[in-house]
Amino acid sequence: MNAAYLIVALPITGALILLFGGRRIGDPLSGWLATIAAGGSFVGSVIVWASLLGRSGADRTVDKQIFTWIPVGSLHVDFALQLDPLSIAMVLFVTGVGSLIHLYSIGYMKGDRSYPRFFFLLNLFLFSMIVLVLADSYLFSFVGWEGVGFCSYGLVGFWFDRETAAVAAKKAFVTNRVGDFGFMVALFLMFGHFGSFSYSAVLGPLASGHSTLAGATATGIGLMLFLGAVGKSAQIPLYMWLPDAMEGPTPVSALIHAATMVTAGVYLVARSAPILHYSHAVLWVIAIVGATTALLAATIACAQNDIKRVLAYSTISQLGYMFLGEGSGDYTAGLFHMITHAFFKALLFLAAGSVIHALNDEQDMKKMGGLRKYLPITFPTFIIGYLALSGIPPFDGFWSKDAILDSAWHMSPALWAVGAVTAGLTAYYMSRQVALVWLGQARWTSDGHEGGGGHGGHGGGEPHESPWVMTAPLVILAFCATFGWLLNAPFGGLDFVNKWLAPVFPSTIDPAVHVGTGTKWVLGIAVTAICFLGLGLGLTAWRKVDRPALEPAVLVHGWYIDEAVSAAVSGPLTRMASAFSFMIDARVVDGAVNGLARFTSGTGRQLRRMQTGYVRNYALGIGIGTAVILAFVATRVGS
Amino acid sequence: MDDAPFRPWLAVAVGGGSNITYVEQYLPILLLMVVVGAFAGGSVAGSRLLGPKRPTGAKEGPYESGIAPRYGPAARFPVRFYLVAMIFIIFDIEVVFLYPWAVMYRQLGVFGLSEMAAFAVVVFIAFAYMVSNGALDWGPHQKRGVPATDQLTRSTTSTVRRVPRPHELLLGVGPISMEDYPEPEEPAAQPAPSP
Amino acid sequence: MIGLLADVVGRVSDQATTSTTTIPVPCSISSGGAKITSVCSDTNSLHISVAYRSILPVLVLVIGALALLAISAVLPKRSRPGLYALLTVAIGGLALIASVWQWSDIGNINAHVPAGAQAALNYRLAHQLTIGQQVFYDRFSVLFMALVSVATILGAMTTDSYLRREGLDGVEAYVLMLMAGTGAMLMAASAGLIMLFLGLEIMSISLYVMAAYHRRRTQSGEAGLKYFVLGAFSSAIFLYGVALVYGATGSTQFLEMANFLGANSLSHNGILLAGMALLIVGLGFKVAAVPFHFWTPDVYQGSPTPFAGYMAAVAKAAGFAGLLRVLDMGLSTQQANWRPAIWLMAVLTLLVGSVMAIAQRDLKRMLAYSSISQAGYVLVGLQAASSTGTAGALFYLFTYTFIIMGTFAIISIIQGRGEARNDLGAVRGLAKRRPLLAAVLLVFLLAQAGVPFTTGFLAKFYVIQAAVQSGQYVLAIIAMLSAAIAAFFYLRVALLMYGTEGEAVAGAPGVSGGAGVSGGAGAGDGSILAGLQPIPSLDGATATATLLDPPAVDEKVRLPVAVALGICAAFTIAAGLSSPMIDFARHATTLFNLK
Repeated sequence: MNAAYLIVALPITGALILLFGGRRIGDPLSGWLATIAAGGSFVGSVIVWASLLGRSGADRTVDKQIFTWIPVGSLHVDFALQLDPLSIAMVLFVTGVGSLIHLYSIGYMKGDRSYPRFFFLLNLFLFSMIVLVLADSYLFSFVGWEGVGFCSYGLVGFWFDRETAAVAAKKAFVTNRVGDFGFMVALFLMFGHFGSFSYSAVLGPLASGHSTLAGATATGIGLMLFLGAVGKSAQIPLYMWLPDAMEGPTPVSALIHAATMVTAGVYLVARSAPILHYSHAVLWVIAIVGATTALLAATIACAQNDIKRVLAYSTISQLGYMFLGEGSGDYTAGLFHMITHAFFKALLFLAAGSVIHALNDEQDMKKMGGLRKYLPITFPTFIIGYLALSGIPPFDGFWSKDAILDSAWHMSPALWAVGAVTAGLTAYYMSRQVALVWLGQARWTSDGHEGGGGHGGHGGGEPHESPWVMTAPLVILAFCATFGWLLNAPFGGLDFVNKWLAPVFPSTIDPAVHVGTGTKWVLGIAVTAICFLGLGLGLTAWRKVDRPALEPAVLVHGWYIDEAVSAAVSGPLTRMASAFSFMIDARVVDGAVNGLARFTSGTGRQLRRMQTGYVRNYALGIGIGTAVILAFVATRVGS
Repeated sequence: MDDAPFRPWLAVAVGGGSNITYVEQYLPILLLMVVVGAFAGGSVAGSRLLGPKRPTGAKEGPYESGIAPRYGPAARFPVRFYLVAMIFIIFDIEVVFLYPWAVMYRQLGVFGLSEMAAFAVVVFIAFAYMVSNGALDWGPHQKRGVPATDQLTRSTTSTVRRVPRPHELLLGVGPISMEDYPEPEEPAAQPAPSP
Repeated sequence: MIGLLADVVGRVSDQATTSTTTIPVPCSISSGGAKITSVCSDTNSLHISVAYRSILPVLVLVIGALALLAISAVLPKRSRPGLYALLTVAIGGLALIASVWQWSDIGNINAHVPAGAQAALNYRLAHQLTIGQQVFYDRFSVLFMALVSVATILGAMTTDSYLRREGLDGVEAYVLMLMAGTGAMLMAASAGLIMLFLGLEIMSISLYVMAAYHRRRTQSGEAGLKYFVLGAFSSAIFLYGVALVYGATGSTQFLEMANFLGANSLSHNGILLAGMALLIVGLGFKVAAVPFHFWTPDVYQGSPTPFAGYMAAVAKAAGFAGLLRVLDMGLSTQQANWRPAIWLMAVLTLLVGSVMAIAQRDLKRMLAYSSISQAGYVLVGLQAASSTGTAGALFYLFTYTFIIMGTFAIISIIQGRGEARNDLGAVRGLAKRRPLLAAVLLVFLLAQAGVPFTTGFLAKFYVIQAAVQSGQYVLAIIAMLSAAIAAFFYLRVALLMYGTEGEAVAGAPGVSGGAGVSGGAGAGDGSILAGLQPIPSLDGATATATLLDPPAVDEKVRLPVAVALGICAAFTIAAGLSSPMIDFARHATTLFNLK
């Protein structure tokens, strides 16, 4: 159990070493150091998992105290780790996928001038993410929540000398702040109601049915928590930052913006299941927002040309799926999809990175094509990821998507329909990507590419396969994407994830989904048929590269939502701020400055006039304030 | 507040009985203020109305000990006037405290003596500080910008503070603190903001 | 020292001559109907018992100030650069030691409280209401004495190099600082409105002069004049409030006021309420609460930079100490009446401070508005009117001292000779030129923004928690909203520091690794200027030019300043991790109370 400390300590130790000694440690070594820290953390997670396995189901929640942070009266906020099936499941896949991506980055970031800084941020991110999932209280989780936000900000803007990267980082940060505000309000509502932040104190009695919660309170807390999740997990209306965040290095997109950080919202909602149980309104909101986001993002993904932006919109869409599952009350399905998605989406991103790497930082799919011959390892792994994401059996995506859609059907057939259409669209746009990148004719020239990013060092010449540190993670992830579904196969008693998470979601808050076996078969076959349809359409339609009819401008611009928001909110808001600052700043401040200029140049008479003038104004302000307070107390006289 | 002395008078003024309410206690103050205002205003107005006005050049000019001024009055007062005034006030206040202490000397005993000594020490240190900064150094030799190096050793300041010898004065720093800090250069007149 | 000796001598002589001193001195306080006469053991003596222990740090500061003056009078002018600063640090250190001793001494007093409510009260009155019943000897006072001592030490450390750079070195700065500290200490320790007013004036007058200390900067003179005129105005209002409260309750002593108001219900409480309102105005001016904040930006901008930090720390702390004494002790029965007023002030202060700070392009002005906004949080704690809230407010003030003094110290370094660069552009690219300095400033900025693992976060957390506990959800939400707004402009400074502009200007696109944070925050320069900085000013061209120019100042950090910055940053982080400070603050909230 004490290995739990190891999980937390290793990444932060690595980060600190890199922070202070990164430049001295140098190029490949600092990457290896960070990777070893991440790998050690994964080993620690496995040890803790194994020791939890040795316990009975009800006994699998262990608290590990670190230190007391806030000791005020009735409120004690401890820094403690809560090891339970949910957090261990999360930390296993976070450190597992994280270690692979660390390894991959050693090759990918080779030659970058800020190599140690990259691994410092990566290790710091891993630490924050582990804190987020292992924390024993909402407040401590919030610390990790802010930490991952900061690291994401730093990594998106890693190449900050690119204007777009800098803007994207700012956008991600500001958008996330909106969500954080919701989280904070939820925290205080929670504290006001329960007098505590800790999971065991807030959620324990609710989960075991020992206490109840008024519907309104549950709705308030639930909605605010979900607002936080919406910001972090890029759901409507706060999803715009994620496509822009692709400005970061590709391993970052894989780790933070596909596998781990963006799923923090999913984790938070799953963690708060006992609260959500008391408010069906919130569950409906979550399901509807999830389904809508899934569909919207999928449509946009159909018309994107940047290889990473397609995957980014796909991530938004899949996150929507997860929320759809959770909103439908099947948290396990949502979490299972999160794990499988981490496998295949990290795989896709890393493979895309390998492509970008091979083509010297070319990201436009219209300038790719025919790469299957040149990247013999990346190509098959990408195809596995593609089939998994498209929901083709027997790969991961099919099973987890199926579980979510079953529960969506139980919630409402309309939600199921939205999900099914999204599945078809997903197969379509992924097929388009495969057709544009791997099939067809080569549209790149072997020497015409410029090293655009901050990391360079590749010469011209034919695209070449990446070094083993990059392909090894691809192969491992491809293996996981192919066989990961065995973790939770819905037959033969193979539903390990369900069983493992059962103590976290007892039947009191997570009633079983009643969908008949026959219905399940019908639904599953229907969705698979839709997926194959999308697959076929995509592959046939995109044999030709130039198909403007299939890329309507409205989709290329993402329904113009980003532009509309910028115009509607940023414009008037900026203007309001300008006007405000003009009034105050120009009149009062500049007035004083100009007055000062006249004071120095003028005579004593002017001095007196200017001086008394301004002080008089100030005194008038104080006088008015006094009058207001006096008027206020006058209303209370005699009371 | 003990308003006993006022009561009969108040009774007349207010015209009521003996039960004087809270606010009415303040009536004398109000009356006093009215009287003060009326007197001050009346004096000014009266002298203006009644006094004969036959202005001549000599009458309009400033009175300087009966000597006709050769120049117009200076726009600014040297700050030393205020310093002297402050020194005066410091000792004035000390005296104000010393008198009652003298009256109560026996009863207060050593305690009173020590407290007064402490008070006197405070005042004395302030005085020493002022003198050391040249509050009492003045005379015709202290024209602006001319370091009065020739009389340094005999200034009042030198009785308190060791003053550098002329050959030590590398920067032309005189004993007078006010002279150490020349007036700022008047910046060029800046254009007024366009309306 | 003299007084202490005299006290000893006085006691001895009393024993010898008790028969000769026969003037009765009234020294009793009515409490719950019972006369307490144990305050003066020897009723027939005119020996006035002065418990010097209760004002030990004050005495240290006063005697220190006098000693400085005397030394300066006999030493040649400008003979020992740094000597006065060194002495002031020593004096502040002595005062700090004295206040630490006081803390444990009060522990001794508390350990011997006899059983029984009345006996305990008598015991406390005898030991903790001292110096003619004008001074409280409780941990609340001592906490503030320690705070002022710390501020004096830090202030002296950071002032020296500034004064030397500006050619202003002299003893006066330190004497004024010590006197201002004296006043602040007396305000915190006051047991009645008269003492409170005396402390207020001692502090304020020193601060007026400090604001105008930079004789060659017209802005400084303007600041001093404005502060003086408006301060006198607010003092007059305060004094009027004192008079009205005295008229309504018959006493200026907090305990007697509370006693009277607890025992009698006023039928015409208009006078009391008006007095209360005026007291709030007078003290609200000192803490720069909206709408009594108008002076703050002008004064902070004009004052010599280290003094502005001292003002922000000490004047604010003392003002809040006064507000807590008056409202939480003297007028605790009137909570229903003052809490809404404070509520409104808190909301206005939070919002106006944060919003106006965004529009600033002068660093000191921005910090002035930021300090206004910070005062809003303390008001949130005060408004809660609970021990949690008071503890939060005390914690806030104590930790804020380190943060704001450190921030102003750094600004005084980077602004250059003659305070040439106070605009936001001065920090541009600071991380490249002075990475360590930038990192320390980042700590302070993050602390002010309330980022976890700094004291700033804990402080905001405590006061907001107190607001939530007292059911003030709206206030809590507004406070959080204000924190979100404020994060914006703190972050802007951080972005400017870690921006790439400095690199480009320096013409050396070197390796930017090492300080890993640097790249993280290094996003968005042009966009920051375009998006976050709406300054269409009258002299737009100049403003833009100064924002883009690299600062042309040499930023030497002398050792004392470096030490002071180290102390501030270390405290801000260390106490933000796991803070025993809050325990001290909670002990200090046990205000002297008749209940």
